[in-house]
Amino acid sequence: MRAATATSASAPVSLFRRWDIWAWVGLILLAALYPLSDPTTARLLVATQIFVLITLASNWNLIGGMTGYVDFGHLTFFGIGAYTVGILMTRSKEIVFAPQLSFWQAWVFSGLAAMVFALLLGAATLRLRGPYFSIAMLATLLAMREIVRLLTPITGGGGGLDLPPELNRIEEYYLSLGLMTLSVGLMWWIRNTEFGLSLLAIREDEVGAEMRGINTTLHKTTAFALSAFLTGLVGGFWAWQNTYIDPDVVFFEPRNLEMIIAVVLGGLGTVWGPPLGAVVLYGLREFFWNRFLFAHLLGLGLMLIFVVLFLPGGLIGLMQKGRAIPLHELLRPRPAVSQEEEA
Amino acid sequence: MPFLQALLNGILVGGFYGFMVLGFSIIWGVMGIINLAHGEYVMMGAYFAWAMFRAFGIDPFVSALLVFPIMFVVGYVLQWLIINRVVERPHLISLLLNFGISISIANIYKLIYKADYRSVTVAYAGSFQLAGFTFPTVKTIIFFAALLIMVGLHLFLHRTRVGKSIRAAAQNKEAARIVGIDVHRVYAITAGICIGLTAVAGAMIAPIQPIFPFMGPIFTVRAFAITALGGLGRIPGALLGGLLLGIVETLLTIYVPGAGAKVGTAVSFIILVLVLITRPQGLLKGLRPVEGGA
Amino acid sequence: MSTPILEGQGISKAYGGVQALYRVNIALYPGEILGLIGPNGSGKTTLFNALSRVIPVDEGRIFFRGQDVTDARPYQMARMGLARTFQVVRVYKKMSVLENMLISRSWRGVRAWNVLRPSRRETYQRAWELLEFFRIAHLAHMPAGALSGGQRRLLELAMASMPDPEVFLLDEAMSGINPALVEEIKERIQEMRQHQGKTFLMVEHNIQFISDLCDRVVVLHQGQVLAEGTPQEITENEAVIEAYLGV
Repeated sequence: MRAATATSASAPVSLFRRWDIWAWVGLILLAALYPLSDPTTARLLVATQIFVLITLASNWNLIGGMTGYVDFGHLTFFGIGAYTVGILMTRSKEIVFAPQLSFWQAWVFSGLAAMVFALLLGAATLRLRGPYFSIAMLATLLAMREIVRLLTPITGGGGGLDLPPELNRIEEYYLSLGLMTLSVGLMWWIRNTEFGLSLLAIREDEVGAEMRGINTTLHKTTAFALSAFLTGLVGGFWAWQNTYIDPDVVFFEPRNLEMIIAVVLGGLGTVWGPPLGAVVLYGLREFFWNRFLFAHLLGLGLMLIFVVLFLPGGLIGLMQKGRAIPLHELLRPRPAVSQEEEA
Repeated sequence: MPFLQALLNGILVGGFYGFMVLGFSIIWGVMGIINLAHGEYVMMGAYFAWAMFRAFGIDPFVSALLVFPIMFVVGYVLQWLIINRVVERPHLISLLLNFGISISIANIYKLIYKADYRSVTVAYAGSFQLAGFTFPTVKTIIFFAALLIMVGLHLFLHRTRVGKSIRAAAQNKEAARIVGIDVHRVYAITAGICIGLTAVAGAMIAPIQPIFPFMGPIFTVRAFAITALGGLGRIPGALLGGLLLGIVETLLTIYVPGAGAKVGTAVSFIILVLVLITRPQGLLKGLRPVEGGA
Repeated sequence: MSTPILEGQGISKAYGGVQALYRVNIALYPGEILGLIGPNGSGKTTLFNALSRVIPVDEGRIFFRGQDVTDARPYQMARMGLARTFQVVRVYKKMSVLENMLISRSWRGVRAWNVLRPSRRETYQRAWELLEFFRIAHLAHMPAGALSGGQRRLLELAMASMPDPEVFLLDEAMSGINPALVEEIKERIQEMRQHQGKTFLMVEHNIQFISDLCDRVVVLHQGQVLAEGTPQEITENEAVIEAYLGV
């Protein structure tokens, strides 16, 4: 992984002497000025959707890319966040006997609820190594969708919940921009700290990491809970923005896949890969797949296969190496690289 | 004797599960690959049986025989072209790849057959009485067919040259390579057999299971739970795990009000997590540690 | 005799039906260099894994610095001052050599919030010193996966030395390293023992290396302790010779 080599200087330098974070800050400032140019609401909505996808991808990257625990059910936390906001804004009187909350009050709980759930779930599933964790999370997602459907008195079941509309595209724009800045900034910070190094060590070799003094359980759980917290916040935001939630729109399978694919496409475990991957993926969806909506999931599935096989380092890796696996390798039956060189 | 009758039903279903899981468990045991698309191969088998039944009125159990060579080729080619490339890379990669394969297959079927539920109703769909028990005819046939195939597979793995090289590759890849076994070809054959068998399982349950493109994941989760119970790559273990899961599922469906047909995923999930938390090496200590130990 | 710094009492471990260790007693005294030898499959690596808590034992107790650590986790052992290398080298192949070193930093006095900042200057300094010593400083920015087998062993040794542990468990750490460097490492180990009082337990196939360096040698055979004594005694022990040569 060249990215790692390039960012670690030979002696410690102040975090804020790194150019990449200033480029990021510059981009964020530009984005913050964008609404001044009086764009149409449709454009603001597109921007908001891109920010949401980047945020989701970056959060998934924390557990899936950096820690190496492939979470096939991360959308669970998005759903918990969305339903926390939905329930607290519309039904808190009947269910928790609390006064109806405003979005801002409910929003805080959406992150917390997701995090608490992640801690409980993590206590069980993070003890499982790699593949078991992946399948357990996939099952959690399937189960969660059914539970939400069945708990009609609380969640509205298949009929869904209508949230009080407070549509303000500018407000939504800045909120999602802030969330994205926070998530990606946090990834950058973690990547440059000892905590991030330890997470990468867990991904590469968990037993070795443990033998070198890293409390792997604590590290994994922290990364998982943090990722869930931020994903819950995105879910809560999304529910408010969409003003309507039901199991199908919240646990929307393409969203689950898109956050994973954005990370793999951009570069697993890198800071800037997921944002890049998310933007490219969003572009592909808008300009190409929207004409083939019926095959959206199929396109995503094929894309995942393609990226894993031919872009193992993602776009970031491609930019650093300057080459992908040549096409004629496609028909070679053997793995192109042996374990010694690659793994 | 409602309890004993429920137990019987559980055993009949469990025998099928034990057979259904074999492909998954052998692929994992031999190559260390977690086949997340396992359920999709079950689904492909079921659709094949449905299509044959609808178009030509062919019995699903005959289709089960026909589907094996077809899916053998599919499995062989998939392994040869795609999965062999990632077989030696970290689990992260093969998991993502198989996840992509599983989604692609399910959605190709959705494009072809739409998301509707299909079913196959055979003439002998009823049940018969024996020794005071009610035997659902189809499930009974499936149970004995599953046992028969398991015995056959056991003989194949232990008595034939190909079977022996599969077991050799599973035990020590390097040594197998040294004695002249083409490991990647063995992997492709293994995948062909496993995916073929999985589709056979799918074709066999076509008469008792609603068929739709997204029926796969629940079988994959079940396969995980069974391997956690019974270990990897061993036929008796798979049978035992399958029986346990089948019995628990059936009893819960009967005794827990409102559990209904959705019980499958939840039960498997809970079993999986409970087993792995209390006994990380599997109930029978048969799980291979996921990473190569030092 | 002083009390052992690391001690295993009656350790048994079975894998499936194979008894890898059967009631093994082993004691490591502060400041000594103890060799562990035995034919392949005699349980050396299993004993290492048990002592460093990578695998649970079926029976027996393990003590480290007088504390019962039978149920401790590996990271706790590392933080108490035990470092080990692995027979199959475990370095982080995708990360640079320097990053490998930074990961293996000392955890002494580290509080939870300390990890939320970049590696400290002292960590870098120590990493560079050790890389220089093990003659791999010029590779610092290479991915560890690009190193040769011998270089990886050196890196692993350097990583083990990072936190300045009291006890080193070295599992065939010298295989694949060129002879001139082996001599240097030998000197360094003796120096660390003399000046800093470090303790070593090492598995080696190179009998010459063992007899040059070790104060005592323990011979494992079929999961049991076959003999124990000075290198001189061991090389003349009939049972040991038979175990190595015989069937």
